Amino acid sequence: MLKCKHVTEKADALVDGSTLSWRERLALRLHLLMCGHCRRYVRQMGALLGFLPRQETPLEDAHTEVILKKLDSLQDS
Amino acid sequence: MADAQLEDPRFIEKLRQGDRAAFGQLVRGHHNMLLATARTLLNPADAEEAVQDAWIAAHRSIAKFEGRSLLRTWLTRIVINQAKMMLRKRGREIQFDPTNDPDALAHRFHDDGHWQHPPQHWELSGPDNLLTREELRRCMEKHLHFMPDTQRLVLELRDLQGLPAEDVCNMLEISASNVRVLLHRARARLFEMVDHFQETGEC
Repeated sequence: MLKCKHVTEKADALVDGSTLSWRERLALRLHLLMCGHCRRYVRQMGALLGFLPRQETPLEDAHTEVILKKLDSLQDS
Repeated sequence: MADAQLEDPRFIEKLRQGDRAAFGQLVRGHHNMLLATARTLLNPADAEEAVQDAWIAAHRSIAKFEGRSLLRTWLTRIVINQAKMMLRKRGREIQFDPTNDPDALAHRFHDDGHWQHPPQHWELSGPDNLLTREELRRCMEKHLHFMPDTQRLVLELRDLQGLPAEDVCNMLEISASNVRVLLHRARARLFEMVDHFQETGEC
């Protein structure tokens, strides 16, 4: 029988979709069916990862141009 | 997550042929993400330099890019190599030993592996959503900043940029199990921090 401590370790794979063997997946699902604390852990961890502060803003055009100019100058020389 | 257009084979072909505008699109779309990666290992000024140098290296070798990985994996690998080089110049090196930092959640379990201090309930919807609260965001930034570099790096690559686990192992030259442990430690720290905030209202 899986212990809660191990569930929190294995749950990483559930949260990010990594591969688990069917045996591991089944054991995990069975445990979660019976354990509300672990269900809460998995749900909240998933939500937390979705809220991490991501860096997605594109670089401003002016700064992009500076980098391109530098590349041009290296190519010419 | 990055724009799918920047992984499009037609776009990549333009890059390989030296199309300046396409390279500009690439820089525009990925620069800040690459900078975030470099900053997990370097101070802001060094990180900026490492990414600039990475663009030079990428520009020089893009014609040889064969599409065996995602383009952004390829770019990230170049940035990490530049960052490692810079660390070496400063007499430092990254240590990927996950055993020197304990699991932040370990104290929550009884010896028999059952919860001793189970997680608090977090409100996750509506205007009271815990994760959207401004104080919590600030607290999270602080914890991310003080996290061990290697944990922060693996978290950045896996959970923020969504790179495949296999790519992360390859570019950092560490085993899959070390990546798993580092990622778990990083996530456990953040979970612990949010749960503490929920319970006490303090960072």
